[in-house]
Amino acid sequence: MTHGVLKRNNVKVLGKGTQPMLFAHGFGCDQNMWRFITKEFEDDYRIILFDYVGSGQSDLAAYDAGRYSTLKGYAGDLLDIVRELDLRDIVFVGHSVSSMIGVLAANEEPDRFERLILIGPSPRYINEGTYVGGFERKDIEGLFEMMDRNFIGWANFLAPAIMKNSDQPELGEELTASFCSTDPVIARRFAEATFLADNREDLAGVTIPSLILQCSDDMVAPEAVGEYLKDQLANSTLKVMKATGHCPHMSHPEETVALIKEYLSSDTTA
Amino acid sequence: MDDASAGLLDKAPCGFISFGDDSRIAYINATLLTRLGFTGEELSGRHVETILGDGSRIFYQTHFFPLVKLHGRAQEVFLLLRAKSGEDVGMLCNAVRHERDGSTFTDCALMEVQERRKFEEALLDARHQLQEQAIELELQSEALQTANDDLQTLNEDLKKERLAADEANQAKSNFLAVMSHELRTPLNAIGGYVQLIEMEVHGPVTEAQRGALARIDRSQRHLLRLINDVLNLARIEAGRVDYLVESVPLQEVIGSVLPMVEPQIASKDLRYESAIPSELRAKADREKVQQILLNLLTNAIKFTSQGGSLCVEAGEHSDSLVFLRVTDTGLGIPPDMLDKVFEPFIQVDASRSRATEGTGLGLAISRDLARGMGGDLVADSTLGEGSTFQLNLPRA
Repeated sequence: MTHGVLKRNNVKVLGKGTQPMLFAHGFGCDQNMWRFITKEFEDDYRIILFDYVGSGQSDLAAYDAGRYSTLKGYAGDLLDIVRELDLRDIVFVGHSVSSMIGVLAANEEPDRFERLILIGPSPRYINEGTYVGGFERKDIEGLFEMMDRNFIGWANFLAPAIMKNSDQPELGEELTASFCSTDPVIARRFAEATFLADNREDLAGVTIPSLILQCSDDMVAPEAVGEYLKDQLANSTLKVMKATGHCPHMSHPEETVALIKEYLSSDTTA
Repeated sequence: MDDASAGLLDKAPCGFISFGDDSRIAYINATLLTRLGFTGEELSGRHVETILGDGSRIFYQTHFFPLVKLHGRAQEVFLLLRAKSGEDVGMLCNAVRHERDGSTFTDCALMEVQERRKFEEALLDARHQLQEQAIELELQSEALQTANDDLQTLNEDLKKERLAADEANQAKSNFLAVMSHELRTPLNAIGGYVQLIEMEVHGPVTEAQRGALARIDRSQRHLLRLINDVLNLARIEAGRVDYLVESVPLQEVIGSVLPMVEPQIASKDLRYESAIPSELRAKADREKVQQILLNLLTNAIKFTSQGGSLCVEAGEHSDSLVFLRVTDTGLGIPPDMLDKVFEPFIQVDASRSRATEGTGLGLAISRDLARGMGGDLVADSTLGEGSTFQLNLPRA
């Protein structure tokens, strides 16, 4: 599937530099979410953008319910791209769930990664014992309900009938394109893989230096989670941002860029 | 926002809220405040997540915010808002991003959906149920597939066992064939030398010696017949019998066999009847049919007492089969022995076999031959009244 990977994951390569900077979008989005910050790195890095299978402009035909039932499958997408482009010394930038997908990929092929930049990461969203993830299971179920309401409900009841009607293909496209995830059923499964995952045990295996960008007042990944990650990830740096919310690269691109640049210019060999 | 606009918005029949990129609430109209049970002071400057339900907060961060940020607008997004009382209020939201006073704001119009929500919930529930049923069906289908696979494996095992059994049977038959041949050679020598002695080639023979020689000769012939039968059966079972199939007129076959048994019929004073249509023909091996008929007649005579009767009939059994039937008024066969009489070495009872000479292989051989020609041999009997053996053969 050599050429297939680049098409499958809608891989885009830009920038004037040589060192690869691989941006991995979070759940609910696609590679477009990076457009507020990538231009700041184009002069110095080779920027690689992609969509996970099931998101953005990826090839839906490549979706495999078994493969993508856990984050490992998504890490597989990442590694397929890394191997296809034979990327080395990668600066990996992952948002939200992609932080953990990046961790899984880096554990698999540590020699290819130089640094991990994790934006709003969380290894486990659900509280468990003394661990504070920020959510109870019912909260996650509330999210599933919102998703059901907002596209699974629509798409399942209306879209199949509309999309089969070749007179009005634009209607189906509009329904599914209203959110960044292309396919509602896949998005729902991605949500389950994301919010029910527990990647705490994968943290100990990480050898690559990492930057944790923790937003203030982020209800998806609260500060306690950032602290936890700082403790668990060897050679990690935690930066608590002024930015609030869960998507600082979209809401506060300047601060995000500045912190990433500062980290990339620092010495992490210590 | 000027006071006049705000006044109008406060009276609007829909909720309105405006917040900055940092998600902090800049304005919220009276309609929405009233519905949610907050005062303006309580929410001003607070994060918009304050008025969102738990699931909606995540949805806001993962879907709503990126959508509005990337596309500048959102349409008909369903959100559960959280009232001060804790009540969840379902609302449809249209949103648009605006530049205002040098900052960017997201303005949202919110319309409560009560009745629609109930319908949507019912539809979603129905869909979930269907999905569960589909999963259940899939599981059942998988279970059936597994059962089918198991059956196939079992079937293959049985085939293998059957093949092994067939091979073992073949080996047994081969062994019997070889052994029978090895036994016949010395027996023939015994018979030959008895004859030479009787012919006084080796000197005069006394009467007592002649009597002894006659007993040796009888025993030798009995043993030889037994071995020949075993050999025949083994050959049939080993599939080494060739059938020369032709159109055989049954009347002719009976005509050729009858002279061989007439002396016994006469000596037991049996009444003999026959009814054979002259045109009736079977598709069979003539010699094998003769062999079977001779066996059936010999048995019938053997087991029928002095003065009894014998009947040979033939006719059409079905469109494809003809029959040849031998009926006697002999001892009969107990019902539980009817099937067993066709098994090798079975005789109805041991005491009778002493009174009636035989190897116990005749019927086994006859049925194997009948089946080898595409027919069958079946028995019917009433104990004390007699037996009927019917040979079915393909019609010519």
